[in-house]
Amino acid sequence: MWIYEKKLEYPINIKRKDTAMARYLFAQYGGPDGELAAALRYLNQRYTMPDERGKALLTDIGTEEMAHVEMIATMIYQLSDDASIKEFEAAGLGGHYTQHDHALFPTDTNGVPFTSAYIEATGDYWADLESNMAAEQRARVMYEHLMNETDDPDVLAPLSFLRQREIVHYTRFKELRDYYISKYKRNT
Amino acid sequence: MNNYQNYPNSNYYKNISDNNYNATNNLFDPYTGFIHGNMFPSLYDPYEISKPYDIQPLNDQAQMLTYIDALSFAAIDLNLYLDVHPEDRNMLNLFNQYRTQLNDLKKEYDSKYGPLLLSGDSLTAFPWAWNKKPWPWENK
Repeated sequence: MWIYEKKLEYPINIKRKDTAMARYLFAQYGGPDGELAAALRYLNQRYTMPDERGKALLTDIGTEEMAHVEMIATMIYQLSDDASIKEFEAAGLGGHYTQHDHALFPTDTNGVPFTSAYIEATGDYWADLESNMAAEQRARVMYEHLMNETDDPDVLAPLSFLRQREIVHYTRFKELRDYYISKYKRNT
Repeated sequence: MNNYQNYPNSNYYKNISDNNYNATNNLFDPYTGFIHGNMFPSLYDPYEISKPYDIQPLNDQAQMLTYIDALSFAAIDLNLYLDVHPEDRNMLNLFNQYRTQLNDLKKEYDSKYGPLLLSGDSLTAFPWAWNKKPWPWENK
């Protein structure tokens, strides 16, 4: 089961409205390399990890990714909660307003709805872990693109934090992958 | 880090931020690790415009929550490390040190400001305390 803790992993307090930035952040909410896809990817893969290390790591990183989903949602909410219909339209979120008003809804930055097709789970630890390493790198790059699109320190601070988490997760997946290759004597 | 040193009632500053480095394990202290997004200096790999931003809490409650955030973060990051390196006794000891500090701090926060978890002691109070502000995503 999961337990909700009534706090963010990292505090977010954005004072300046920026509807365009809210739109860009949807990439990390419901996009192919976003936090929701990461959370569901790892939490589905964990069942078929070959030993206790893998089951623990996939469970724990998957859980942390859920906290990142909440951080991204919070950023979108705070950046756009006060935005008018005109501001939604100007930011390219007119369609979002039509269907969802100011509600959070997992799409990518172009409004394409989230799909489980983004989640890789092959039942093979080697394929899954290397896929996860690549996914963490793609997410890192996307955080860099997002950082290029703002100069607001209230937005840059959590983006900087989240970007570094991708690097740490990449490292742990790589360590697990290397351990398995040695443990199961796979020929690289 | 400045706002930590300036915080008048800081009983925890000493525990979580009295040096920038845990020499035994080559780790950041919890607050420094928290604002870097990792406890392991060797893994810190900033983007050209990345930097650790000091947390700017708006009030005493947010300040105390920041201590909890920092210790929680230290525990999360060591947790992931220990998943892959379960036989590192030094790191396990450090994890348990942070976990104990975190539990004490959460109890104090709960009695002052209300529950973070549905297991919080403050939920014995009347009326029901769980639905009180602030919710984590709200900033006004």
